[in-house]
Amino acid sequence: MRRPGGLAADWGRGWWVFAALVVLTVFELGLLLIDMPAGLFRVLLLAVNLADAWLIAYYFMHIAQLWRGE
Amino acid sequence: MAYPQVAEHGAQERLAVNRTGLWLFILSESFLFGAALSSRYYLQGVERPPELNQLLGLGITLVLLTSSLTAYRAERAAVHGHLKGLTRNLAATIGLGLLFLVGVVIEWYEAFHYFPPSTAYGTVFLTTTGLHGFHVLTGVIALTFILLLGRDGRFTGGNFWPVEGAVKYWHFVDVAWVFIYPSLYLVR
Repeated sequence: MRRPGGLAADWGRGWWVFAALVVLTVFELGLLLIDMPAGLFRVLLLAVNLADAWLIAYYFMHIAQLWRGE
Repeated sequence: MAYPQVAEHGAQERLAVNRTGLWLFILSESFLFGAALSSRYYLQGVERPPELNQLLGLGITLVLLTSSLTAYRAERAAVHGHLKGLTRNLAATIGLGLLFLVGVVIEWYEAFHYFPPSTAYGTVFLTTTGLHGFHVLTGVIALTFILLLGRDGRFTGGNFWPVEGAVKYWHFVDVAWVFIYPSLYLVR
């Protein structure tokens, strides 16, 4: 599917998603340095992983095509 | 073509079927990685050896994330009929994939030294990274085929499905790593 704005807009969106993925990965690593209960650490780690996966699946893999039928 | 709307509808239908089939394949593959990761927690709990090379783990993670960006750019270039954008970004994705594999080889070299396959963590680590590395290798091979076949512009004239399919597979490999990396390197 071609989105409005053309290729430049699509590529620009790619950079934003990539930046978000890098920030989340660094945040994930930063969690190691913070002293917190193990349970909270694991929940935060899982939340970051799910956010990463959602960003990739939604923006890069266009999973919404499945129900939008584009 | 006598009935262009019918042909167009047929092509859309075929694309939708292709996409659904690929997502089902991806779903089935995710169970494989899910089994590998669950064996990590079953055999070793949340323990991990202190000798893990955190810098290498982070480095190859960033390489794979970058390759997802270039793969996305290649796919969008194909959709928009931009041949140069397609070939350049595919080549970059292949290069980053190979760089990731070099990282896995270093990872394995260190793993055999510090936690060999005879240990529980070594078994889990080598199995999971080996399984994932094999998927990266097959992704690199698929993208190389697409690059070689697509240089003449056959995928930028509306028939972008082969690019989209290979790139979606590549993104899946990235998603799998998003869960493997913290499970092997970070969790405690």
